[in-house]
Amino acid sequence: MNTRPLMMLRVNVATPQSVGAVPHGARRIAPITGGVFEGPRLRGTVLPGGSADWLLLRADDVLEMDLRVTLRTDDGALISMRSFGMRHGPPDVIAAIARGEAVDPAAYYFRTTPRFQTAHPAYAFLNRLLAVASGDRRAEGPIYTIHELL
Amino acid sequence: MLLRLATSPTADVGATPHGTLSIFPVIGGSFEGERLRGKVLAGGGDWVSGRADNALELDLRVTLETDDGALIYMTFTGLRDDAHQYFRTLPRFETAAPKYAFLNRLLAVGIGEIRADGPVHIIEEIL
Repeated sequence: MNTRPLMMLRVNVATPQSVGAVPHGARRIAPITGGVFEGPRLRGTVLPGGSADWLLLRADDVLEMDLRVTLRTDDGALISMRSFGMRHGPPDVIAAIARGEAVDPAAYYFRTTPRFQTAHPAYAFLNRLLAVASGDRRAEGPIYTIHELL
Repeated sequence: MLLRLATSPTADVGATPHGTLSIFPVIGGSFEGERLRGKVLAGGGDWVSGRADNALELDLRVTLETDDGALIYMTFTGLRDDAHQYFRTLPRFETAAPKYAFLNRLLAVGIGEIRADGPVHIIEEIL
Protein backbone atom coordinates (compact mmCIF):
# COMPACT_ATOMS: atom_id res chain seq x y z
CA MET A 1 0.00 0.00 0.00
CA ASN A 2 1.38 3.40 -0.97
CA THR A 3 1.24 6.26 1.52
CA ARG A 4 2.36 9.85 1.73
CA PRO A 5 3.08 12.02 4.75
CA LEU A 6 0.05 13.83 6.12
CA MET A 7 1.32 15.37 9.32
CA MET A 8 3.15 15.02 12.58
CA LEU A 9 0.86 15.43 15.59
CA ARG A 10 2.11 16.01 19.12
CA VAL A 11 -0.40 15.95 21.93
CA ASN A 12 0.09 16.86 25.56
CA VAL A 13 -1.50 14.44 27.99
CA ALA A 14 -2.68 15.33 31.50
CA THR A 15 -2.73 12.87 34.38
CA PRO A 16 -4.90 9.94 33.28
CA GLN A 17 -8.18 9.25 35.02
CA SER A 18 -8.06 5.62 36.05
CA VAL A 19 -11.57 4.24 35.81
CA GLY A 20 -10.36 0.78 36.73
CA ALA A 21 -11.55 -2.72 35.90
CA VAL A 22 -14.45 -2.67 33.46
CA PRO A 23 -15.85 -5.77 31.75
CA HIS A 24 -13.52 -5.42 28.75
CA GLY A 25 -10.31 -4.62 30.60
CA ALA A 26 -8.74 -1.79 32.59
CA ARG A 27 -10.07 1.56 31.46
CA ARG A 28 -8.25 4.83 31.81
CA ILE A 29 -8.86 8.15 30.18
CA ALA A 30 -6.03 10.46 29.22
CA PRO A 31 -7.25 14.06 28.81
CA ILE A 32 -5.43 16.02 26.17
CA THR A 33 -4.60 19.56 27.12
CA GLY A 34 -3.24 20.74 23.80
CA GLY A 35 -0.73 20.06 21.12
CA VAL A 36 0.44 20.95 17.66
CA PHE A 37 0.33 19.40 14.22
CA GLU A 38 2.25 20.15 11.08
CA GLY A 39 2.35 18.70 7.61
CA PRO A 40 2.74 19.80 3.99
CA ARG A 41 -0.96 20.61 3.64
CA LEU A 42 -2.08 21.56 7.15
CA ARG A 43 -0.77 22.85 10.43
CA GLY A 44 -2.16 24.23 13.63
CA THR A 45 -2.98 23.43 17.23
CA VAL A 46 -4.94 20.86 19.22
CA LEU A 47 -7.88 22.21 21.20
CA PRO A 48 -8.07 21.07 24.81
CA GLY A 49 -11.83 20.66 25.23
CA GLY A 50 -13.24 17.28 24.23
CA SER A 51 -9.85 15.94 23.32
CA ALA A 52 -8.77 12.78 25.08
CA ASP A 53 -7.62 9.23 24.58
CA TRP A 54 -9.91 6.53 25.96
CA LEU A 55 -7.57 3.67 26.80
CA LEU A 56 -8.44 0.06 27.48
CA LEU A 57 -5.82 -2.41 28.66
CA ARG A 58 -7.04 -5.81 27.54
CA ALA A 59 -6.47 -9.16 29.21
CA ASP A 60 -3.85 -9.99 26.56
CA ASP A 61 -1.87 -6.84 27.49
CA VAL A 62 -2.77 -5.01 24.31
CA LEU A 63 -3.63 -1.39 25.02
CA GLU A 64 -6.51 -0.28 22.83
CA MET A 65 -6.62 3.44 22.18
CA ASP A 66 -9.62 5.45 21.14
CA LEU A 67 -8.42 8.99 20.55
CA ARG A 68 -10.60 11.96 19.77
CA VAL A 69 -9.09 15.39 19.25
CA THR A 70 -10.21 18.64 17.74
CA LEU A 71 -7.65 20.31 15.51
CA ARG A 72 -7.65 23.98 14.60
CA THR A 73 -5.64 24.92 11.54
CA ASP A 74 -3.61 28.10 11.36
CA ASP A 75 -6.29 29.54 9.05
CA GLY A 76 -9.10 28.80 11.47
CA ALA A 77 -10.67 25.54 10.23
CA LEU A 78 -11.82 22.98 12.76
CA ILE A 79 -11.08 19.32 12.07
CA SER A 80 -12.39 16.47 14.17
CA MET A 81 -9.97 13.56 14.29
CA ARG A 82 -10.65 10.14 15.73
CA SER A 83 -8.30 7.23 15.73
CA PHE A 84 -8.36 3.70 16.95
CA GLY A 85 -5.01 2.26 17.88
CA MET A 86 -3.08 -0.48 19.58
CA ARG A 87 0.03 -0.44 21.70
CA HIS A 88 1.90 -3.45 23.01
CA GLY A 89 5.42 -4.65 23.50
CA PRO A 90 7.85 -6.46 25.78
CA PRO A 91 6.93 -5.96 29.47
CA ASP A 92 10.19 -4.15 30.29
CA VAL A 93 9.64 -1.69 27.44
CA ILE A 94 6.05 -1.01 28.45
CA ALA A 95 7.18 -0.55 32.06
CA ALA A 96 9.83 1.96 30.96
CA ILE A 97 7.18 3.93 29.06
CA ALA A 98 4.99 3.92 32.16
CA ARG A 99 7.89 5.39 34.15
CA GLY A 100 8.13 8.21 31.62
CA GLU A 101 11.45 7.11 30.20
CA ALA A 102 12.45 7.75 26.60
CA VAL A 103 12.06 4.51 24.66
CA ASP A 104 12.95 3.73 21.07
CA PRO A 105 9.56 3.58 19.30
CA ALA A 106 10.85 0.65 17.24
CA ALA A 107 10.92 -1.40 20.46
CA TYR A 108 7.14 -1.69 20.68
CA TYR A 109 4.02 -1.69 18.49
CA PHE A 110 2.10 1.59 18.54
CA ARG A 111 -0.09 2.07 15.49
CA THR A 112 -3.32 3.93 14.94
CA THR A 113 -5.77 4.54 12.09
CA PRO A 114 -6.97 8.16 12.07
CA ARG A 115 -10.12 9.42 10.39
CA PHE A 116 -11.02 13.05 9.88
CA GLN A 117 -14.15 15.15 9.55
CA THR A 118 -14.30 18.78 8.55
CA ALA A 119 -16.77 21.19 7.01
CA HIS A 120 -14.08 23.50 5.71
CA PRO A 121 -13.74 23.32 1.90
CA ALA A 122 -9.97 23.80 1.97
CA TYR A 123 -9.61 20.62 4.02
CA ALA A 124 -12.42 18.53 2.53
CA PHE A 125 -9.79 16.13 1.16
CA LEU A 126 -9.45 14.88 4.73
CA ASN A 127 -13.05 13.62 4.65
CA ARG A 128 -12.12 11.32 1.78
CA LEU A 129 -9.02 9.56 3.00
CA LEU A 130 -7.94 6.88 5.43
CA ALA A 131 -4.66 7.14 7.28
CA VAL A 132 -2.25 5.19 9.42
CA ALA A 133 -0.02 6.48 12.16
CA SER A 134 3.04 5.36 14.05
CA GLY A 135 3.17 6.50 17.64
CA ASP A 136 6.10 7.44 19.84
CA ARG A 137 5.11 7.72 23.49
CA ARG A 138 7.05 10.46 25.24
CA ALA A 139 6.65 11.52 28.85
CA GLU A 140 4.66 14.63 27.89
CA GLY A 141 2.46 12.77 25.44
CA PRO A 142 2.54 10.82 22.21
CA ILE A 143 3.90 11.98 18.88
CA TYR A 144 2.07 10.55 15.90
CA THR A 145 3.56 10.38 12.43
CA ILE A 146 0.49 10.20 10.22
CA HIS A 147 0.46 9.01 6.62
CA GLU A 148 -2.41 9.16 4.17
CA LEU A 149 -3.31 5.86 2.46
CA LEU A 150 -3.04 6.54 -1.25
CA MET B 1 -4.41 -11.89 2.61
CA LEU B 2 -6.74 -11.75 -0.36
CA LEU B 3 -10.39 -11.78 0.66
CA ARG B 4 -13.20 -12.50 -1.78
CA LEU B 5 -16.76 -11.86 -0.70
CA ALA B 6 -19.96 -13.20 -2.19
CA THR B 7 -22.94 -11.00 -1.53
CA SER B 8 -26.65 -11.42 -2.12
CA PRO B 9 -28.98 -8.67 -3.36
CA THR B 10 -28.79 -5.46 -1.40
CA ALA B 11 -31.35 -4.38 1.13
CA ASP B 12 -31.82 -0.71 0.36
CA VAL B 13 -32.91 0.91 3.57
CA GLY B 14 -32.99 4.30 1.94
CA ALA B 15 -32.40 7.81 3.18
CA THR B 16 -31.62 7.81 6.88
CA PRO B 17 -30.43 10.79 8.92
CA HIS B 18 -26.82 9.68 8.26
CA GLY B 19 -27.11 9.09 4.54
CA THR B 20 -28.43 6.51 2.13
CA LEU B 21 -28.08 3.13 3.80
CA SER B 22 -27.67 -0.07 1.81
CA ILE B 23 -26.99 -3.42 3.44
CA PHE B 24 -25.00 -5.98 1.46
CA PRO B 25 -25.50 -9.43 3.00
CA VAL B 26 -22.40 -11.60 2.81
CA ILE B 27 -23.31 -15.16 1.89
CA GLY B 28 -19.85 -16.61 1.47
CA GLY B 29 -16.40 -16.12 0.11
CA SER B 30 -12.82 -17.13 0.64
CA PHE B 31 -9.57 -15.76 1.97
CA GLU B 32 -5.98 -16.74 1.44
CA GLY B 33 -2.71 -15.45 2.76
CA GLU B 34 0.65 -16.72 3.95
CA ARG B 35 -0.53 -17.36 7.48
CA LEU B 36 -4.25 -18.05 7.09
CA ARG B 37 -6.73 -19.32 4.57
CA GLY B 38 -10.27 -20.54 4.58
CA LYS B 39 -13.81 -19.52 3.82
CA VAL B 40 -16.18 -16.74 4.74
CA LEU B 41 -19.27 -17.89 6.57
CA ALA B 42 -22.70 -16.70 5.59
CA GLY B 43 -24.40 -14.29 7.93
CA GLY B 44 -22.21 -11.22 7.79
CA GLY B 45 -22.75 -8.05 5.87
CA ASP B 46 -21.54 -4.67 4.85
CA TRP B 47 -23.56 -1.66 5.98
CA VAL B 48 -22.85 0.99 3.37
CA SER B 49 -23.85 4.61 3.88
CA GLY B 50 -23.85 7.08 1.03
CA ARG B 51 -22.69 10.48 2.20
CA ALA B 52 -23.67 13.92 0.99
CA ASP B 53 -20.30 14.24 -0.78
CA ASN B 54 -21.03 11.00 -2.69
CA ALA B 55 -18.41 8.97 -0.88
CA LEU B 56 -19.52 5.68 0.68
CA GLU B 57 -18.79 4.73 4.28
CA LEU B 58 -18.43 0.98 4.73
CA ASP B 59 -19.03 -0.94 7.93
CA LEU B 60 -18.41 -4.65 7.42
CA ARG B 61 -18.72 -7.58 9.80
CA VAL B 62 -17.97 -11.13 8.72
CA THR B 63 -16.94 -14.42 10.26
CA LEU B 64 -13.98 -16.23 8.75
CA GLU B 65 -13.40 -19.95 9.20
CA THR B 66 -9.84 -21.09 8.62
CA ASP B 67 -9.05 -24.37 6.89
CA ASP B 68 -8.09 -25.80 10.30
CA GLY B 69 -11.38 -24.86 11.91
CA ALA B 70 -10.70 -21.60 13.76
CA LEU B 71 -13.29 -18.84 13.70
CA ILE B 72 -12.13 -15.26 13.23
CA TYR B 73 -14.43 -12.28 13.59
CA MET B 74 -13.39 -9.59 11.17
CA THR B 75 -14.70 -6.06 10.90
CA PHE B 76 -13.69 -3.12 8.86
CA THR B 77 -14.66 0.44 8.34
CA GLY B 78 -13.84 1.80 4.95
CA LEU B 79 -14.19 4.56 2.47
CA ARG B 80 -15.15 4.15 -1.17
CA ASP B 81 -15.12 7.21 -3.37
CA ASP B 82 -15.54 6.22 -7.00
CA ALA B 83 -15.08 9.81 -8.19
CA HIS B 84 -11.51 9.65 -6.89
CA GLN B 85 -10.90 5.92 -7.53
CA TYR B 86 -10.43 5.43 -3.81
CA PHE B 87 -11.48 2.26 -2.00
CA ARG B 88 -9.59 1.64 1.21
CA THR B 89 -10.47 -0.16 4.42
CA LEU B 90 -9.18 -0.61 7.97
CA PRO B 91 -9.75 -4.24 9.00
CA ARG B 92 -9.60 -5.58 12.55
CA PHE B 93 -9.73 -9.10 13.82
CA GLU B 94 -10.82 -11.01 16.91
CA THR B 95 -10.17 -14.66 17.57
CA ALA B 96 -9.88 -17.05 20.48
CA ALA B 97 -7.70 -19.52 18.58
CA PRO B 98 -4.13 -19.37 19.97
CA LYS B 99 -2.63 -20.06 16.55
CA TYR B 100 -4.24 -16.93 15.17
CA ALA B 101 -3.92 -14.72 18.26
CA PHE B 102 -1.45 -12.54 16.34
CA LEU B 103 -4.50 -11.15 14.55
CA ASN B 104 -5.81 -9.71 17.82
CA ARG B 105 -2.69 -7.58 18.10
CA LEU B 106 -2.43 -5.91 14.74
CA LEU B 107 -4.03 -3.21 12.67
CA ALA B 108 -4.44 -3.63 8.95
CA VAL B 109 -5.22 -1.74 5.78
CA GLY B 110 -7.06 -2.98 2.74
CA ILE B 111 -7.45 -2.08 -0.90
CA GLY B 112 -10.89 -2.91 -2.24
CA GLU B 113 -11.92 -3.62 -5.77
CA ILE B 114 -15.30 -4.48 -7.28
CA ARG B 115 -14.97 -7.31 -9.77
CA ALA B 116 -17.63 -8.94 -11.88
CA ASP B 117 -17.95 -11.82 -9.41
CA GLY B 118 -17.99 -9.62 -6.31
CA PRO B 119 -15.79 -7.49 -4.09
CA VAL B 120 -12.15 -8.39 -3.48
CA HIS B 121 -10.00 -6.95 -0.71
CA ILE B 122 -6.22 -7.09 -0.54
CA ILE B 123 -5.39 -6.82 3.14
CA GLU B 124 -2.00 -5.98 4.60
CA GLU B 125 -0.88 -5.91 8.19
CA ILE B 126 0.46 -2.58 9.45
CA LEU B 127 3.95 -3.49 10.67
